[in-house]
Amino acid sequence: MTGYPQPTPWLNARAEARLADVLLYGATGAVLLFFYIPIFTLIAFSFQEGRFLTLPFEGFSLRWYGELFRNSNAGNALWNSTLIAVVAMVFATLIGTLAAIVAVRYRFRLRIPFTGLAAAPLAFPQLLLGIVLLLWFSVLGRQFNFNTGLVTAIIGHVVYIAPFAMVIVAVQVFNFDATLEDAARDCGASNWAVYRYITLPLLWPGIFSAAIFSFLLSWGNFYLTYSLSGAARTLPTFVFSGIATGSSPLYPAIATVVFIPGILLVILADRMRRRAA
Amino acid sequence: MSAVIDRSWRDPALLGKALPAVLLQTTCFLAPLLMTIALTFQRTRDFQLSWTWSLHTWTDVFTKAHYWTILGHTLFMATLCVALCLLIAFPVAYALASRLRAFQNHVKVLITFAFLTDATLKTFGWVLFLDKNGAANYLARGLGFEGDAVNILFTDWATMLGMVYNLLAFAIFTIYLSIDEIDRSLVLAAYDAGASKFRAFWEVTLPLARPGIWAGAVLIFLLAVGVFLEPKVLGGGKSPMSAELIRQTFETRVNWPLGAALTMVLMTVAVFVVLLFNRVYSLKRHLGPA
Repeated sequence: MTGYPQPTPWLNARAEARLADVLLYGATGAVLLFFYIPIFTLIAFSFQEGRFLTLPFEGFSLRWYGELFRNSNAGNALWNSTLIAVVAMVFATLIGTLAAIVAVRYRFRLRIPFTGLAAAPLAFPQLLLGIVLLLWFSVLGRQFNFNTGLVTAIIGHVVYIAPFAMVIVAVQVFNFDATLEDAARDCGASNWAVYRYITLPLLWPGIFSAAIFSFLLSWGNFYLTYSLSGAARTLPTFVFSGIATGSSPLYPAIATVVFIPGILLVILADRMRRRAA
Repeated sequence: MSAVIDRSWRDPALLGKALPAVLLQTTCFLAPLLMTIALTFQRTRDFQLSWTWSLHTWTDVFTKAHYWTILGHTLFMATLCVALCLLIAFPVAYALASRLRAFQNHVKVLITFAFLTDATLKTFGWVLFLDKNGAANYLARGLGFEGDAVNILFTDWATMLGMVYNLLAFAIFTIYLSIDEIDRSLVLAAYDAGASKFRAFWEVTLPLARPGIWAGAVLIFLLAVGVFLEPKVLGGGKSPMSAELIRQTFETRVNWPLGAALTMVLMTVAVFVVLLFNRVYSLKRHLGPA
C-alpha cells in the first residue's frame, strides 16, 4: 500500500463535488440555451407584423401565417417534403433494420466489410454525397433518358439515412434475448410465427425510433435534396432559395410550423423507447 | 444479450437480410464513388463532358495554389470545430450519464429535437439572432451595451459558431453512449483505493470514454470538412471552404472532372488526417508511460 504517492488534494472532497456539479449543470444549461437560441429567435420573428426581420417589432400579428397559408409554392414544398420523408422513412427503416440484424446477430466471414459498407455514408459529408450521386444520376440519366426529381432525391435520402436506422436498431438487437425465439420454436411455432410474435414485437421500439429519426432526417434534409431533387422544391430548399434572394417573416413562420410536428414526433419516439426499456 | 449465431455468408436467411443494404450501398454509394474517380481523368469541351482519358484535371489541381489554400483553411476550421465540439460536449454528456436523473429524458428529447430540426432553418435563425439589428444586439442594448455589441455575422467566427452548433450533438451522443457503458464499480474501486473524485475521473472515467470521444471526433471532422451552408449563410461567402469551391466548380464553371477531382482530394485528405491522428495516438500509447 505504499507504492502510490498520495498527493494532497487541492480541494477537499465536498468542494470538489460542488465544483463538479456547478460545472456539469452549468454546461448542460448553457448548451441547451445555445441549442434553442436560433429556434426561439425564429419563433419570435414569425409574429412580426412588418415586412423586415429587424428588432424592435412594428407589432405582433399572425399576418405571415396567413400569407404562408395562401402561398402555393410553400404548400407545394410542404407536400414534397412530406412525400419524400414518408417514402424514404419506409425504405431506410426496412433496409436499416435488416442490416442491423445481420450485423449484430450473425457472425460470418464478410461481417466487417458488410458493416463497413452498410454504414459508410454516415461519415461521408452530405454535400459531397449529393454531388457524387448527382453525377451518377446525370450520367445514368443521359444513358437511360431520365431527369433528376423526387425519385432521385428519395434514393439519395435512403442511401444517407439507412445507416442511421441501422445504428439505432442495432442497439435494440444487441439487447435482444435470442432464447425467446428458441423457446417459441421449441413450442412448435413456425418461422413466420416466431418473426411475427417474438422478433418483431421485441425489436419494435428500436424500429419505431429509427423510423421517426429517419422521417425527421429526411424531412429536414437540405444538402441531398438541394443536389438531387431537380426542379422540385422541399421546405429546406424553398427556405434556402428564399433567404438567398431576400427574406421576409414568411420564413420564420414556415420554421415555426415545421417545429411543431418535429417536437411531437421526438417526444413520441422517446415515450416508445422508454416503455420498452 | 443476444446470442451470436455462426453462419456461412451464403446462408439464405442471412443473405436475404443483407442484400437490400448491400445492393443499395453498392449501386448508389460505391459505384457513384468509383465513377467520380473515373471522371477526374476525363476532359470537358464547351461545358460538355467528353469521355477522353487525360491527366489534364490533375495537373490543374496540383499546380494551382488557390485550391490548396482553401483546403488548408477548411482543414483548420474543421479541426477547430472538432476541438470545440469535444470540449463543449464532454461535460454535457458526462452530466447526462452521471447526474440529471430526473431530467435526463427531457434533456435528451430537447437535444434530439434541436439536432433533427432542419439545418437551413436553424442557420437562418442564427442570422436573425446575430444581425446588426437582430435579437442579440437588441438584448445587448437592453442590458446597457452601446452600439452594436455583437458584430460577428459574415465573419469566420459566425461560420465556426454555425458549424459547432450543427455538429455538436454528434459528440454529445457518442460520448454519452460510451460514458453510460462504463462499469460503475470500476469508479467505486478507484475511490476505495483512495483516489479523489477528480483523480478517479481522470484515471478511470476519461480513459474508458475514449472510444466515444474518438468516434465523435472522427464523425465531426469528416462532416465539418464538407460544410457549405454555414460559410455561405453565416460567413457571407467571404472565405469559401472546400465544399463551396466544389459546388461552384460544378454549378458555375460546369467543370465536372475538376469538381470530381476536388471532391476526391478533399475526401482523401480528410481520411488521411483521421488515419494519421489514429497512428500518432496509438504510437504514443505504445511508447509513452501507460
